Amino acid sequence: MTVRALAGLAALNVAYAVVGLSLLWAALAFRTWGGLLRLAGLGYLLGLAAFGVLWTALLVAGVPFGVVVVVLSLVVLTAAGLVAGRLRGAGFDGARPCLGAGPILLVSAASVALAGMFLEALFRTARLSSLQEYDAWAFWVPKGLAIFFFDGLDVHVFTTTPNATYPPLQPVLDAAAFHAMGGPDVVTLHVQFWLLVVGAVAAAAGLLHRHAPSWLLWPPLLLVLVVPRFGERLLAPQADVLLQVLVVVAALLVALWLRDRGDWRLAAAAVLLAAGANTKREGILLAASVLAAGFVFSRPRWWPRLAAASVFVAVTVLPWRIWAGRHDIGAGAPSSPFGNGRLRGALDLSFEVLYSNARWSVLPVVATIALGAALVWGDRRLAGYLALLGLLFFAGGVWSTAGFPELAINADEGGNPIVRYTGSMIFLAAVALPLLLTSVWRAGEDP
Amino acid sequence: MLVALAWLYPHAFADANRSARANARLDNIDRALGGGNSVLPAQAIAMEARGRIPEDGTFAVSVGPRQPGWSVLAIPDSVANYMRYFLLPRQMDPNAPWILCFACDRSAYPDAQVVWEDSPDALAILRLPS
Repeated sequence: MTVRALAGLAALNVAYAVVGLSLLWAALAFRTWGGLLRLAGLGYLLGLAAFGVLWTALLVAGVPFGVVVVVLSLVVLTAAGLVAGRLRGAGFDGARPCLGAGPILLVSAASVALAGMFLEALFRTARLSSLQEYDAWAFWVPKGLAIFFFDGLDVHVFTTTPNATYPPLQPVLDAAAFHAMGGPDVVTLHVQFWLLVVGAVAAAAGLLHRHAPSWLLWPPLLLVLVVPRFGERLLAPQADVLLQVLVVVAALLVALWLRDRGDWRLAAAAVLLAAGANTKREGILLAASVLAAGFVFSRPRWWPRLAAASVFVAVTVLPWRIWAGRHDIGAGAPSSPFGNGRLRGALDLSFEVLYSNARWSVLPVVATIALGAALVWGDRRLAGYLALLGLLFFAGGVWSTAGFPELAINADEGGNPIVRYTGSMIFLAAVALPLLLTSVWRAGEDP
Repeated sequence: MLVALAWLYPHAFADANRSARANARLDNIDRALGGGNSVLPAQAIAMEARGRIPEDGTFAVSVGPRQPGWSVLAIPDSVANYMRYFLLPRQMDPNAPWILCFACDRSAYPDAQVVWEDSPDALAILRLPS
């Protein structure tokens, strides 16, 4: 671990943020410094997602993953955003951002300080972590190393490591990090995952800032960082946290799009969902759930936009499926859960894991109560969308456990990934809570 | 929710600080090996293999019966997966000239030369003539 490695990694991640912000600017998402600051976290995730999706396709097409080409791709993505923004008439007002004042600012400042203190402690953990997790050294990091060393999808590594069906977006990001660090530094690689967590918190807070007061926004966001099961695994160099962040921030964007129909939100959600679908097998299921819930709770005249987003996600999944099919790697989908006698056990297990106080503290219980309250007194469209999305995520977990006969029907993480999978629902609960509670609170304020 | 946060935040903060201190105490080899410390019978075979096998070389992993003192995680799949990761860009190949022998049946490689050996743990690096 060296200062040079850290500086390189910081530069790469700033580049992701610049790419994402240029794309958001082109989509007319902001035109002031205040807007830019509020969407910086989302911009970072969007840049990282766009880079990952682009390079997944380029690697399948045989483009070598060298430093020059990687830098060029970041420059081209940024330039594309800036040119598109110019053509669409996106402007920028250089007025200084207004931070507001009074007790709300105090709550925000205190919350940001608490989040910052915890993230600083996580940074110190990350920068000298060794690579411990089985999945990380058995296949995620080796695939990233293979892209770094061999400039592409090395057939030997990508077809013989465990879980060969997983798409290469996470390894692409690892390989880019190795190039930025100047070598295959698997210790400093943990800092890349720390930056992802920082980006996720900034993205969620920035998106919710105008839709929930600080005192309802920050407690769930802080709590999800420190609940035992989520907090312990934030830095593991695996794709679980990346998938959860991409899908849940996309789900939040769709929820806000249902409210204000800001097209930029749906466009950004589509890119994040495409990245999620290219991160892990279950990413396709989760992305489809978000889009399906969006269809159900939007008006038919909005459907063409959702259909376009769905087609975009589906098209981005194709390159890896083509490569995998060409190399005899199956789709890795579970079989039908009906008739194999595992459905009831899988249902009980998913329920037990979801409402496990020891893993997630009170988050799922409070979210369920908030959902019920919002369905009765608050924003019913929002609550319905989130309830359906939660049910679809839950059903996906049940289907996975029941449909893969080789998975044990228990919560031991060595034999069943249901706990990792449930992390998506917990992160969704954390970002949905401020919206749900605010809708109930504001309904009470109405005359 | 605030009560849960007030209870969990200090614990998580303390845990993160504890992990940071534990990570800082690791020596370079422990840090480089990471999970290999739980899988490999001894650190030396991984470090020796990195030093001896050229980066464009290939190797095979041959694991025999578990020996006294080996970790319960020292099973053939785990050892092979770990060595594949740790030795990249060196590639695994069943016909490779370099054999990483974990209590393997050495009679299967009659022409191999022992280039490194750790007798107490029954570990060796073998080299087949080219």
